[in-house]
Amino acid sequence: MEAEDRVRVMVVDDHPVWRDGVRADLEASGRIEVVAEAADGGDAIEVAREAMPELVLMDLNLPTVRGVEAIRRIVEESPHVRVLVLSASGEEADVLEAVKVGASGYLLKSSTAAELVDAVVRVRAGEPTFSPSLAALVLGEFRRMSGTTEPGLTARETEVLRLVAKGYSYREIADQLVISVKTVQNHVQNILTKLQLSKRYELMRYAIRRGLDRS
Amino acid sequence: MNEAGAPRAGTAGAPRAGTAGRSEAERGRAILSLGILAFRWVSLAWMAVLALTAGPLRRPPLAAAAILLLAAWTAWLTLARPAPRWPLLAADLALAAGLNVLAGLVMPERTVGERPFFAAGYPVAAAVSWGAARGVRAGVVAGLALGLSLAAGLLANGVDLAAEDAPTLLDLAGGTLNFVLAGGAVGLVARLLERSALQLRQATEETIRARERAARLAERESLARQIHDSVLQALALVHKRGRELAAGGPVPPGQVAGLAEMAAGQERALRALVLRDPDDGPTGAASLRAGLEAVAGRGWGHLEVTVGATGPIWLPAHHVEELAAAVRQALDNVVEHAGASRVALFAEEDGGMVAVTIRDDGRGFTYDEAAFAAAGKIGLAKSIKGRVEQLGGRVRVTSRPGAGTEVELRVEDRRGPGNPKGVPRWIRRGPGNPKGVPR
Repeated sequence: MEAEDRVRVMVVDDHPVWRDGVRADLEASGRIEVVAEAADGGDAIEVAREAMPELVLMDLNLPTVRGVEAIRRIVEESPHVRVLVLSASGEEADVLEAVKVGASGYLLKSSTAAELVDAVVRVRAGEPTFSPSLAALVLGEFRRMSGTTEPGLTARETEVLRLVAKGYSYREIADQLVISVKTVQNHVQNILTKLQLSKRYELMRYAIRRGLDRS
Repeated sequence: MNEAGAPRAGTAGAPRAGTAGRSEAERGRAILSLGILAFRWVSLAWMAVLALTAGPLRRPPLAAAAILLLAAWTAWLTLARPAPRWPLLAADLALAAGLNVLAGLVMPERTVGERPFFAAGYPVAAAVSWGAARGVRAGVVAGLALGLSLAAGLLANGVDLAAEDAPTLLDLAGGTLNFVLAGGAVGLVARLLERSALQLRQATEETIRARERAARLAERESLARQIHDSVLQALALVHKRGRELAAGGPVPPGQVAGLAEMAAGQERALRALVLRDPDDGPTGAASLRAGLEAVAGRGWGHLEVTVGATGPIWLPAHHVEELAAAVRQALDNVVEHAGASRVALFAEEDGGMVAVTIRDDGRGFTYDEAAFAAAGKIGLAKSIKGRVEQLGGRVRVTSRPGAGTEVELRVEDRRGPGNPKGVPRWIRRGPGNPKGVPR
């Protein structure tokens, strides 16, 4: 694979040993180049600005600026950057927030090197990586929001989300619903977009309530 | 570890906080109203005695009729014990005020203040009833009204208030003051009774909540201690073997795999226990998600078991136990027959139902219940079915050769729609149970 085709990745984690390990795993694949590292959230925002990675691989539990806030600012400054969360706890509230502010997926730190590389390549290609448990959480979130003014899911999107939650791969879902894998991916992307949109509405309503829109 | 993070069923034998304070207030009010009734009867008797002994009256039939009417009214109050609503209170006050005026009419002219008052203490009962039922202000208002009727009674008795000397006016003022004080004081007592009953109820509820919280925390702490201990042991082993590996010593691959498996188990246990806030569910309920995590956390060898849920999903603790046991059996089955590497457990609430899906990526099979029954192979499926059907639920198995197997357990969600707070219907808040404490 040519050097230009490699995914340009930035690794953010406050443990140097962990960063080294992830860098080694990613680069050993030959498909990924680690172009920058950062040890805390504030650093991550600045380094991302300079190094212009295609994908940021980051922990949520970071010093200075928290992971979720760092993701929000990185995605705000460079909307084309994909963010993949690598979390030790999988603490659901954090992961859900991260996805709402723009993360494209999340993996547990105990995932194997092969799973990690696979996820990085897929996310760069625009394919959100929903783990089954994240899909379940997102489904629950939409059910809780239903009846409000939030953008709701279509019946087909709900069906896709339930199948992801049950651990089916996109291929298997495509076979079951007799649609193409690309269509499944589009559904998942739309679900993600609606979730992020609902977060934006939420922030807007908050701003209006606080009168910040007038200042 | 067993059933990590699954909140225990509510503390059995907890006092009925919702009703304790209420009955306390009701008892106080009942004693008060009994006291008022007793006062009415004594006053009535005294009135009759005075009418017969205190000398001749101006209009004896009117006096007799008044006493009979009051006796009937008091008897009805005693037997029917009607609720102190406004119409009743108004009627009572009108009777009492009328009695004050009537006293002036039946007593010989210009004798009010000189001989025992015909109405005796009976009108005070009205002021006191107002205070007891509606508080200090109502008691005072009723007292003032009675004071006015007393003045009217004096006029009816032929007393010229404008020309009268100070002692008579002082008597009138004193009588009015008595009415006002009686009404106000009883109103105050009634309010104090109510407030202390409310405080008692709040204190009882707070105690119960604190006790439940402490029990949950204690359970959590003991689990945390166990897990921390096992995590430390795992870390020590990783540390030791890691050094040995680094030194190039011969470590059998089986041991390395064992090490990884052990670390994975600890990772799962810690994640499920420590990193999620203890969910405070309704009393007597347990989280289905926590139940499934406990099952997954038992460690299933090479089989990777993940848990997903749309929320904590609160169900009666017994339902969670049965569902978790059914899932455990299904997983046993997967380990034994499916040749799978991954299983996803997924729990969701959906339109009044709760569904748990156990989905494996194994070899799958053609599911034909009749054929299995004929071959005597239905044992395990039957026992899973038995558990779920006991809860009024259903089991559905979907499988195709080469495409894994999906087992769905579906039970009725005992919380209905229109109950967004997720309080199970069996401990729904209601007028008799304002805090939703289970009975």
